[in-house]
Amino acid sequence: MAALQEKKSCSQRMEEFQRYCWNPDTGQMLGRTLSRWGGYPRGRGRGFPRVLLSPGVTLRPDVYGDKGLDISYNVSDNRTWVGLVHALHGFLAGYSPESQQDSINCTSGKYFFQEGFAAPNHTKFSCKFTADMLQNCSGLADPNFGFAEGRPCFVIKMNRIVKFLPSNSTAPRVDCAFLDQHKDARPLQVEYYPPNGTFSLHYFPYYGSKAQPHYSNPLVAAKLLNVPRNTEVLVVCKVLADHVTFDSPHDPYEGKVEFKLKIQQ
Amino acid sequence: MGQAGSDSEGGAGLRVKPALPGTEGRQFGGRAAPKKWARQRKTLEIYSVELSGTKDIDQTDKGDGKEKYRGLKNCFEPKKNHQREELKKELDLDDHKLSIKELEEKYGTNFITGLSSTQAAELLAQNGPNALTPPKETPEIIKFLKQMVGGFSILLWIGAILCWIAYGIQYSMNKSSSLDNAYLGCVLALVVILTGIFAYYQEAKSTNIMATFNKMIPQQALVIRDSEKKTIPAEQLVVGDIVEIKGGDRIPADIRLLSVQGCKVDNSSLTGESEPQARSSEFTHDNALETKNIGFYSTTCLEGTATGMVINTGDRTIIGQIASLASGVGNEKTPIAIEIEHFVHIVGGVAISIGILFFIIAVSLKYHVLDSIIFLIGIIVANVPEGLLATVTVTLSLTAKRMAKKNCLVKNLEAVETLGSTSIICSDKTGTLTQNRMTVAHLWFDNQIFIADTSEDHSNQVFDQSSGTWASLSKIITLCNRAEFSPGQENIPIMKRVVVGDASETALLKFSEVILGDVMEIRKRNHKVAEIPFNSTNKFQLSIHKTDDPNDKRFLMVMKGAPERILEKCSTIMVNGQEQPLDETTAAAFHTAYMELGGLGERVLGFCHLYLPADEFPESYSFDVDTMNFPMSNLCFVGLLSMIDPPRSTVPDAVTKCRSAGIKVIMVTGDHPITAKAIAKSVGIISANSETVEDIAKRLHIAVEQVNKRDAKAAVVTGTELKDMSPEQLDELLTNYSEIVFARTSPQQKLIIVEGCQRQNAVVAVTGDGVNDSPALKKADIGIAMGIAGSDAAKNAADMVLLDDNFASIVTGVEEGRLIFDNLKKTIAYTLTKNIAELCPFLIYIIVGLPLPIGTITILFIDLGTDIIPSIALAYEKAESDIMNRKPRHKKKDRLVNQQLAIYSYLHIGLMQAVGAFVVYLTVYAQEGFQPGILANLRVEWENDNVNDLEDSYGQQWTSYQRKYLEWTGYTAFFVGIMVQQIADLLIRKTRRNSIFQQGFFRNKVIWLGIASQIIIALILSYGLGSVTALNFTMLRPQYWFVAVPYAILIWVYDEVRKLFIRLYPGSWWDKNMYY
Repeated sequence: MAALQEKKSCSQRMEEFQRYCWNPDTGQMLGRTLSRWGGYPRGRGRGFPRVLLSPGVTLRPDVYGDKGLDISYNVSDNRTWVGLVHALHGFLAGYSPESQQDSINCTSGKYFFQEGFAAPNHTKFSCKFTADMLQNCSGLADPNFGFAEGRPCFVIKMNRIVKFLPSNSTAPRVDCAFLDQHKDARPLQVEYYPPNGTFSLHYFPYYGSKAQPHYSNPLVAAKLLNVPRNTEVLVVCKVLADHVTFDSPHDPYEGKVEFKLKIQQ
Repeated sequence: MGQAGSDSEGGAGLRVKPALPGTEGRQFGGRAAPKKWARQRKTLEIYSVELSGTKDIDQTDKGDGKEKYRGLKNCFEPKKNHQREELKKELDLDDHKLSIKELEEKYGTNFITGLSSTQAAELLAQNGPNALTPPKETPEIIKFLKQMVGGFSILLWIGAILCWIAYGIQYSMNKSSSLDNAYLGCVLALVVILTGIFAYYQEAKSTNIMATFNKMIPQQALVIRDSEKKTIPAEQLVVGDIVEIKGGDRIPADIRLLSVQGCKVDNSSLTGESEPQARSSEFTHDNALETKNIGFYSTTCLEGTATGMVINTGDRTIIGQIASLASGVGNEKTPIAIEIEHFVHIVGGVAISIGILFFIIAVSLKYHVLDSIIFLIGIIVANVPEGLLATVTVTLSLTAKRMAKKNCLVKNLEAVETLGSTSIICSDKTGTLTQNRMTVAHLWFDNQIFIADTSEDHSNQVFDQSSGTWASLSKIITLCNRAEFSPGQENIPIMKRVVVGDASETALLKFSEVILGDVMEIRKRNHKVAEIPFNSTNKFQLSIHKTDDPNDKRFLMVMKGAPERILEKCSTIMVNGQEQPLDETTAAAFHTAYMELGGLGERVLGFCHLYLPADEFPESYSFDVDTMNFPMSNLCFVGLLSMIDPPRSTVPDAVTKCRSAGIKVIMVTGDHPITAKAIAKSVGIISANSETVEDIAKRLHIAVEQVNKRDAKAAVVTGTELKDMSPEQLDELLTNYSEIVFARTSPQQKLIIVEGCQRQNAVVAVTGDGVNDSPALKKADIGIAMGIAGSDAAKNAADMVLLDDNFASIVTGVEEGRLIFDNLKKTIAYTLTKNIAELCPFLIYIIVGLPLPIGTITILFIDLGTDIIPSIALAYEKAESDIMNRKPRHKKKDRLVNQQLAIYSYLHIGLMQAVGAFVVYLTVYAQEGFQPGILANLRVEWENDNVNDLEDSYGQQWTSYQRKYLEWTGYTAFFVGIMVQQIADLLIRKTRRNSIFQQGFFRNKVIWLGIASQIIIALILSYGLGSVTALNFTMLRPQYWFVAVPYAILIWVYDEVRKLFIRLYPGSWWDKNMYY
């Protein structure tokens, strides 16, 4: 079956359905050969999920309050943020050069389609994403991720969906802002790493954990520069891409991530 | 008259005996013609409360009153001792002893002028209307509340309350907790309330049928008030009113008679005496019930006129007091109610024990108590077939409707099935087994007995009508008869015409009309010049006519009467149209014929005539019936005619059916034993080759005592014999004889008989019509009142009303009742099956930690959505085999829900269904990314709202809402899986033993409607309401609908194999354990 995001007409769907019920070419009934009826289908020979239409977006460090992500700390009291910093270090440990050594370097900035299984052990190649790509927010230069100075780094990750192509040509970009931005208030200033806050297209599509055992999600770090002190602000980081939606009324994590932030001093 | 004379009038059978104005004598006892009955009933009797509470209350007149009284005591005393004492006190009324003067003083009235209107109004306000208080109705609100807490409702209430408690705890811990539990509680409560309302509505509907049926036509009374005669509704009578009654009236209250002109009353409803009782204004007996100067409420004045003063009204009348006693006999629980209770206990027990077991397991698996409570709720909801009780109600009411079409009006829905489990029917004779009209059955002339056609339409009179004797006999029959057709009935079949005249004369009139044609015309041509009506002293009726032969100037004197009296007056006998001297041999032949006909239980009449010589009796001769100036001897005997109330033509078949259905039919009648036995033989209640002890004694020429009682299959027991029996003897009688006729019994004894039968563990159906039958009707497992002849009190006490009074209708009712029992089994088996498929998800969820396969709300959509119409559709299933060929079910052994049914439904089909549904669920999860392997123990992370990148088997990452959506898709898939397999379940439940191919796929079209409804409801839920998140349905991809199909086919094949082995190896282990 075709990719999930493809728009189809009703008659096309009907035709496909008929073909699904009985496929004269392959002798398959209801998507399976007769011999395979009786058990659940193994592997992902066909079909794509329809529940996963658009990726979710998550944030690190992830501290949850009653209603979603709720991060608050006191700049002057390092006990309040050492846990957050630790969490980031822990998360980025998976992005150390050692962890990424089985992946290849990619620079194309274009979709990395792989037809065959050219990588060792009959797998597909994965592109490297190392922590250092996050530069100021890599934890290498500043092990405190800016928390100590009140300009914290947040790492934004887009969830994996098999064979998902986020956009048509431009790379998906992260955009963070205050959720309740008043006209007169100062807009949120953000530094994005990698520059422009983009997920390079060569990390897509994802072929699944079996095909790409070494795959790591690309990340974007957002360093918030002008968070007001001692007030709770709501920050939303959206992934802007053609095929990423962030307007689901039900799912607060689809295509975006919202979090409460309160920095005390 | 012979033994088959007027005393064969049934006490029990005949309640309504209106004497018609213009009928001077009740010549040969009187069953009125049916049509007349019908009209009479409509206008006079049936719609008014006619009470004949204790027929035997005090009948010392006949010397056996005390014993009868004892019978009454037996019935009422245990429960109603104090009430009976009251009754006794009330009975000590002494108004009959007072003189008119004293009475006028006592009641402040005047014999001539009556009460004044103001006085009457005051008294009416003070004492209330002259009507019987209808039996106490349970208040509607109580009925309603009963529906709300009965059956499964309690379990669901528990579930709802637990939901609210769970929500309360959640709320107290976290103000922003989700409202899911509160919603679920509300939904559960709503389910209970809706099913309760529905059941209440169904009950109310069936009660309403009765209410319209019971509408009373107000009775009128002629009363003297303000010195004027007025007709007022009898309800407005007050004590002290002076009323006038005439023949045909029902006495409107208890009255003290002041002046009487030839008044006779029918007290049978009160005392059981079938003979008309003369009334006078004299005080004749200390006992109020025996004195002749009292007329009792609801008894009928047969002839004459009387004026009387009202001394008691409404509930204070004798009969009113008795009626309130009768209503004290409690109603038994119906067998189906017991069965459903049993079933509720089973399901409730399973639900609660599994619930508690898993609650404990959950707690020990370190689940939160709150979560465990939610599991408990899920388990309860999954286990309780919410829709089932509503379904059962609908099913029963469908059958009730079907039965109403077959003339069985069911008052109490549950009684529908009771009839099916009936093992003994105690049936009335008159009207139920018989046509309730006298009909000429045999003729004897020319030394020969001829058989007349007694079928309902009388059409086929084949006896030899060529003899000259028949010509003479027919002339006597036609002329010596005072009965006449009411005018304007030319187009109505003869047998259905209304006749003015008593039962015997009506029979003769119709008989002659059928054979000879226009009787009225014949009578006109043979002008009547003199007449002596029948009276009980003469025992004959005589009339003198001019003949229609213009050449014959002689008068013809015709006479009919008790055969022996007629024969006395004869010196010749007509044979083949020739007059011959009456010698010894012909007299002997006469006697043989008379005895033979009498022995058939028939009422025999003799006929004779005499042509008066023209010289002695010229045309101008003036006959004087007082001085009898005409010869009364040396007449010419012509023939005998015998009449019987013949059995309904459908009854013998119905009795045979009962017999093959293992139902014992006991006749209980007030009639003479000989008549009763004759009818019992002709309808097959006593089969052709069975003998009573008396028969054997007669055959062997030995004394009755010498006969081995075991040799006799049949027994005819009279009321007198029954009175002397101990309960043990009665039990012995009921067990030892398969064919029993109770004759000459009083309605009170009916109760004793019913109790005796119930001691044998039988489910007893009783028919009755009188008020005094109502205790027996109530006591019986199913009381069947007669729709035409029955009194309102009987109908009130009964569970069912036979609209056509026909015994055969009972049998169709039995058939329907048995069918519904079988079909209810199927419905329950169908409904229970999916409970396992609904329950397993919770159990596996708790133990294995899968994401929840199906939600509580979704379960409710199966139980109350897709499954409802199919389970009702099973009620339309035809019987698998001749259900009338098997024994009635044993109350204690043949349960509605037995172990086999539960095991087969729960553990065989139910588990298969659960597997099938799980496969659909797992397929959906696997297709979406979660393969079964990683689902185990995924629950905690799965349900954690703070995990928004949960990885599936393919490394994809899921936000919590995406998972939730998948979970709902899983619910929908599981739901569809169950639905698809329930289609197979529905098809296999069509039969329990036969292959579905034997039963036919399309005979029950409603099944297909049910299947269509299942599919359509599921489609609407998934595609129509899939976007309403609160319902937890999602749009399921089309292919998932077919995943369970192979499992559905498997279920079907499995059940076919089961049935095949049951058919192949009857009585085997398989049959015993796999047949439900």
